[in-house]
Formats: sequence, C-alpha cells, structure tokens
Amino acid sequence: MKPVLVMQLARFGDLLQTKRLVAGLEQSGRPVHLLVDASLAGLAGLVYPRATVHAVAAHSRPDLAALQQGVRELAEAGFRRVYNLNYSGLSAALSTAFDPETVRGHRLEQGQLKRDPWAAMAFRWTRRRRQAGVNLADFWAGYAPPLAEASTVNPAAGPKGGGLGVALAGRDPRRSPPPRVLAGVIQALLPTLGTAGVTLLGTAAERPAAKELTALLPERVARLVTDLTGRTNLEQLVDTVAGLDRLLTPDTGIMHLAAHLGVPVTALFLSNAWCHETGPYGLGHTVWQATLDCAPCLESAPCPNEVACLEPFASREFLRLVSGKSGVEPPAGLTGFRTGFDALGACCEPFCGADPGRGERLALRAFAARSLGLGGDGYQPAPALAEDMVADPDFMLPKHQALLETL
Amino acid sequence: MNRSLRVLVVLPMYGGSLPIGRYCARALTGLGHCVEVFDAPEFYGAFSALKGLRVTSERLEHLEHAFLQVVAQAILAKADTFRPDLVLALAQAPLSRQALKRLRQMGIPSVMWFVEDFRLFTYWESYAAHYDAFAVIQKEPLLTKLAAAGQPNALYLPLAADPDFHAPLELSSVEKRVYGSEVSFLGAGYPNRRVAFKELVSYGLKIWGSDWEGEDVLQAYVQRGGERVSPEDAVKIFNATAVNLNLHSSISARDLVSGGDFVNPRTFELAMCGAFQLVDERSLMGELFAPGELATFGSMLELHESLRHFLAHPEERDAYAERARNRALAEHTYQARMRTLLEFLESRLEGWPRSAEGGNALDALPEEHREAAARLLGELGLSPEAPFADLVWALRAKAGKLSPVETAILFLDEWRKQYGGGAG
Repeated sequence: MKPVLVMQLARFGDLLQTKRLVAGLEQSGRPVHLLVDASLAGLAGLVYPRATVHAVAAHSRPDLAALQQGVRELAEAGFRRVYNLNYSGLSAALSTAFDPETVRGHRLEQGQLKRDPWAAMAFRWTRRRRQAGVNLADFWAGYAPPLAEASTVNPAAGPKGGGLGVALAGRDPRRSPPPRVLAGVIQALLPTLGTAGVTLLGTAAERPAAKELTALLPERVARLVTDLTGRTNLEQLVDTVAGLDRLLTPDTGIMHLAAHLGVPVTALFLSNAWCHETGPYGLGHTVWQATLDCAPCLESAPCPNEVACLEPFASREFLRLVSGKSGVEPPAGLTGFRTGFDALGACCEPFCGADPGRGERLALRAFAARSLGLGGDGYQPAPALAEDMVADPDFMLPKHQALLETL
Repeated sequence: MNRSLRVLVVLPMYGGSLPIGRYCARALTGLGHCVEVFDAPEFYGAFSALKGLRVTSERLEHLEHAFLQVVAQAILAKADTFRPDLVLALAQAPLSRQALKRLRQMGIPSVMWFVEDFRLFTYWESYAAHYDAFAVIQKEPLLTKLAAAGQPNALYLPLAADPDFHAPLELSSVEKRVYGSEVSFLGAGYPNRRVAFKELVSYGLKIWGSDWEGEDVLQAYVQRGGERVSPEDAVKIFNATAVNLNLHSSISARDLVSGGDFVNPRTFELAMCGAFQLVDERSLMGELFAPGELATFGSMLELHESLRHFLAHPEERDAYAERARNRALAEHTYQARMRTLLEFLESRLEGWPRSAEGGNALDALPEEHREAAARLLGELGLSPEAPFADLVWALRAKAGKLSPVETAILFLDEWRKQYGGGAG
C-alpha cells in the first residue's frame, strides 16, 4: 500500500497537535511519513514511533545540497497523498515536489496557491474566533476522513507522582503570565496536589524568568523548586514531564507534550490564546481562559488595553478557585473549562464563570462535524451558518471534498 | 400535465449529476416539453484560466466568486429570454442564492434535484429555502430537515435510467473481449470498495473507473490505468459482463457493505441495460425493485456465495436481468421521474403552470401549412399542442441551414411582431 506524507513544518506544539490526523491515517493502514523541521525530528520520532520521519531546515538557513537530496527522496517515495498542513510559503514551495493532484490542504500549482474547501472553511470560522472554536488537531485530522476516535489520541490524564511542573513563557510573551502571577498560582495549586516539588521548565531564554519566579516564592516553597530551564534535552524534557502530577502552563508546546503523556494540565489562556482552538487534547485537563470582550485578540496587533486580560489571573478570587475552594465566583472576564469530547473532537466545557459565544460555538462545531460525516443525523439544519461557512466555489467548482476522498 | 412546458435545465459544471441533467433534458423533450439546457461545462475553460493566473489564494477565491456570478447572470439572461415555466437545477448547479431570488422576482419557479447524499454535502442547508421545490434521493430524516430549513415542497425522487441510452447492446466479439469479464465493477475507488474487492480478484475481476491509485493488490485489475469511463463505454461494459458488481460507496473501510439508504444510478442503469447485477442491500431498494428482480447481498460472505452461485448459473442471471429490465422500463425511466416531478409541482405551486401564452402552433398557421407544421413539431420533439412561440424557439435553436418551411415560420413570426395580428 502506498504511503502518505504529512508535512508539518510549524512548531513543537503543532507537531503534537498532528496526532489525530496521523492516527487516522495509520488506522486506515497507510504507512505514514512525516516531514518536520529539523529541530523537531527527535520529538517526531518519539511521538510517532511508527512513522518515517523526514527533516528539513525550515527555521534555520537551509543547506541547498541537503535540501535537494531530501526533496528528491520524498519525491521518489510515491506518496498516495501529501497533506500540507501549513499555510506558509515554505511548505507551499515544498508541495511542488509532488503531483498537485495528490496534495491536500495547501498547494502551489503552476505558481497558483490553492487551498481545499475544508481549509477555506476554517479560514472563515477563524474570522470570528470568539464564536468559533475547533481544536487545531481536529481541523488537521479533517483532511483525511474517517477520523481516528478523539478519545484514542491521548491518554486520559492522571497524576504521576512527580509534583508540579511549571512551563515558563511561550513563544509569545503577551500570552504568558509573568512570574508575579505565576508565583501566586503555584502557591494556590501546590496544596491540591498532595506532593511536594516544583519543576521549572523552559528554554535557556526563560532562565531569568525562572530566577525571578523563585525569588518571588516564599522560602518554604522556593526550597522545593528545581529549575530545569535550559538544562534539558528533548529526552530529559519528555522524561520529566511524563513524571509530573500536574503541569501549570500557558499555551505552550510543553502543554501539548503533557497532554500526549497523560499528565494533567492547568492551563492559563489569555491574550490571543483560545482554548477552543489550541487547548490541551484529551480528558482530565483544566483551562482558565480569559474571556474579556476583547479576547481572543490578534497575535499580530498591539494590545490597546494594556493586557487587561492578565489581571483576573492575579485576583484573590482566582487563586481561591485554583486552590479548590468551592462557592467562589470567578473574577469578571475569566472562565474555567474542563476538557472533554463531543462529536467533532476535543472541546472545553465551562464549569466556572460565563462562557460567551457558547451557543454559536456549539452550532458551528455541529456544522463542522457534519461536514466531516460525524455526529449523526440528529441536528437541526442551520441555513444561515451554512451560508457563512460554505462558499459557492467550494461545491459549484470541482474541488477536493474531504468526504469524497477515496484514499 | 396537459400542456407543453418550457423548461430550462441548468447543468452543473462537473460530476455525477452532469449526465443525469442531460438525461433529464432528454426525458423532458421526450415528454413533449420545450427544453433549453444551460450547459455550464461550456464555461469550464474560463475556470481553468483562473486557476492558472498565479495570484494569491484570496484573490483567486474572489475571482472564482466573480466568475460564478457571471455564470449565474448568464443563466438569468437565458431565463429572461426563454421565459421558462420552470428552471430545473441539478446538484452543484451554478445557481447562486441571488440568482434564485431574482428568478422568484421574475415569477419563474425553480426546482433542485439534489441527486447527492445529503450527508456528504452540507450546502443544501443554505440553499433549500431558495428553491420553490427540492427533490432528493433520500427520505427521512432529510425530508423533515428540508422542512426545518424552510423548504415546504420536498419530494423524494429516486434516480432512474434512460432507456434510449441504457439499453441492451449487440456487441462485436472484439468489444466483448475488450469490455467483457466474468465479474466487473465500474466506479470510483472508495475505501470500502478498495478493501472489499481485494477479496474478489480470483473471480476474473475487472475494475473500471478512477481513483484506484496506490492499491497495489488491485492495480493489475484496474482497466485503462484508472481512466474515467465514458457513459457510452459504461453501457458496453454492463452488457459485456457476466456479473456486474454494484457496491454502494462508503468512506469507511470498516463497513464494507454499508447498508445505506439511497439507491445509486448504476442500479437503474444496469437494470435498464438488461445486465445482471449483484447489488448491496439498501433501505430504499425494496420499493423500487422486488426481491426477484435484483440479486442482492447484505454482507461480504453473502457476496462470495452469490458470486459463486450466479457465475455457475447463467440462466438465473438472465432471468433476473430480464425482470429488472422490465421493472426499470415500466417505472424507473427519467421520463417517469420528470412526470412525477411536474405533477408534484402542479399540486404544490399555486397557479402553476400558467396558461400558455398565445394559441398553439398549428392554430396559429394557415390551414394549408398545418400538416407540414405538425410534422415539424414531431421532428422537434414538441407536442402537437405546443404553442407557436415554442415552435419558433425550437427553430431558432437549430444549427445550420433551415428548411424552407422552417424559414417561413421564422419569417412569419417576425412579420407578426412587426405588424401584429394573427398569422392567417
């Protein structure tokens, strides 16, 4: 049986969020190859032990001779399908190494960038993110129905005995709570775990933040801290995260690693992070999501509100909630969610605070689900939503329809 | 339906509903209606040109929208000129919601025959209410959903075949060798078929159709390198094959025999050809064919058993094929479907169809020319009661040099427009 190639040239977290797509392809009996950034080849090998991993220098200066050789090998592999997941010039350029008829997602064909109806629909729903909310892992999996069961993607999360891990910063500092906020959350969270030990995780760039955080903690807690920022290689990071009782984190790649390993996550989502899109995948995680009127904002636009969405995370009410106190009203602009599943895939269910946009989100998720043949027939038609989500060219012109795939 | 109607059939740009639209147009003509076809595939070249522009994907999508607006405008222009009693659109027809609203303003009813699985396309949800009626190949829960989507005139209208096209053929020995086999399948390589047919290669299997790439075990059995098969060749394959497999498609490779609801066009086409088929059971099949008319299977085990049995009993195959053809001829022609559709519309659309404008063609002509005109109506596929305007329209649409009587009728029409009054 001919193999398929999944091109995932984005970051650490994106590679982990490709799991449902790969699982579905593997369940269909197809040998799966992965093309990833060279810096993530090791992680890809760990997360996808059955896949053949290919690497390309996507985020560093490429060696042209090596690139040429790599592309030749890929082109000669005779892939039945190539799934190009990233809307980027780099991956579009690489897609030209394959017969355009075999490429799904985004492809460059005779100099023309094209995208499939499923990708076009996703662009439409992300225009109004607050009401939308399809987990990225489910969106990518939607390129190749039938999808793997969502509940089989990651193990249900449970404590592993190694204390609390804290992921410092993410790629975007605006959506990463600073040490002064994290210090409070750590103190509130620790007593709920029943185990001692705080492990700080991150790259060398986060070491100053780790120092600052440790200094902000009371002596009795600071003594429990092990600072591993910049001190772990990939295998050590995986080993460390795999043993944690819980991970406290903003929207990071380490968060997705914890979900992959079945370690419970307490995630703090603010600024442009939106748990309905990139929340931890699987059962047993908690997300505290900023839900001010301006959330989620645009990553590329400067914040006009002085990152007001950060303040609820520093409030006493929030810390009481994190420490497990019942009967506490959350601060305005903050909502607690627990992760779960619905017909489409991973979802976040509110357990504390208001959930603005929930009605519209559920309708959109149901529509997205039936666009993938999921969820059965027990729905009410949604003419206005269908009008928004499906454009005439998607079906009046011959394009690759996900559900008509003959893979 | 007593009077001859003017029907504009809007074909889609591509896909399986395209030939069905052509069969519908032929059936309506055969019923004596004046039919005009909007041939959307003629515009395909412009779409191909857009794809080669090398612009950003946002610009391309904008241009695709604009292109479809032009196509919709062309349909509206045609409707405005032809003034049909009805616009019949086939699934994926390039009729935008705006164009459907405009048709309504023009007082021209529109009906969609959605010959697709409603679970595979979701756009019907936003289009249903914009048509005056919506015919579908599935029943519940779709009929209820259409009502909920604002469409009160939903009709279950199963697929059919065209007896002038899907017919028994006398094939030459060469054709029998090329197109024939003990067992064949014609269709696309959906996941369930890919898995199922691997079990059947020992039966002398030939696979026709596209999308079978990458299936190593089946490659040796895929004919013509997986090229698309023309409808003409399909009829030859059906006629030349001892056992035609008909396994409805499913995107799931887990349930090889999916047991779905609608009955595919191949079922009717094979029956109409008088070809023997082994077809998987469908929930809506029972009211279309009796058990003795189609040999069916409900599982792969039953398929194997039936294959062995029917390959060894050609006389039983012939008996099934004959009974299926008789049933198809009696009930499952596109003419029958079009008749049902028009009767449904007559019962549901108030005041439809309007009385024909002007007298019929024969009355409009001097006595001495009526015999020739009656012959002409027959040649043009129009009913003897067809209005004079339909006769003129059909003559205008004819290609090449017209006969003297035809030219004379066109002249008469122009004379009447210029000077008014009756033709006599």
